[in-house]
Amino acid sequence: MDAPQPFSDKEIAFLEALVAGGVDFLVVGLAAAALQGAPAVTQDVDLWFRNLDDPALMRTLARAGASYIPPTASTPPLIAGAGTELFDIVVHMHGLESFEKEAGQAIRIRLGRVELPVLPLARVIASKKATGRPKDLSILPALEDTLRARRYTLNSDGSGS
Amino acid sequence: MTIAVKAPEPEAADATTLARERLERARAICDAEPEASFENVWHALILLEDPPLVRLNRSLIRGRTATVQR
Repeated sequence: MDAPQPFSDKEIAFLEALVAGGVDFLVVGLAAAALQGAPAVTQDVDLWFRNLDDPALMRTLARAGASYIPPTASTPPLIAGAGTELFDIVVHMHGLESFEKEAGQAIRIRLGRVELPVLPLARVIASKKATGRPKDLSILPALEDTLRARRYTLNSDGSGS
Repeated sequence: MTIAVKAPEPEAADATTLARERLERARAICDAEPEASFENVWHALILLEDPPLVRLNRSLIRGRTATVQR
């Protein structure tokens, strides 16, 4: 029997609810890189929302049985509820343009039933370079080599093999 | 003495052919991109053969296992 996968139907259902609810968001960080073929490990899936006060986001979270926990002095903003454990909220992306500009360049990647807006690998690299943190800089060679590999293997839809 | 040589299973033969093709692609990319690391390109090519959901789950499984083992 196959082992249970961390990212399964309930996580896909949550993303599907965000898309169906008209919430503006992007998958960013190493999860975005992994979706594009990077041999990178991550513990969670970072979601960058255009506006955390968006009524569509609040409605969607409520419908999905989840809730938004605002940030405090010592904690970041969080999403709580079944099917949301893997997701982290990102409020700022280092080295990138505004959400609107980056969303305009997003690529679409199908994950099960849902087509997701994903930050392109080149922009993930730009954000990792901009943070300057050792853990972000150490993954850059793998991300840059993935970008090189993708140049030679892209499908006509640009989504990768 | 006769030594019996078993023919490779069709699936194994396919896997070998795929690996050879991937190896040629990885070498060609590294020839064209001298800054690239063969290992990174090789692993990226393997992942690009999988659907995005499989790629993401591989990343999360390894990330979460590393956390548990810390």
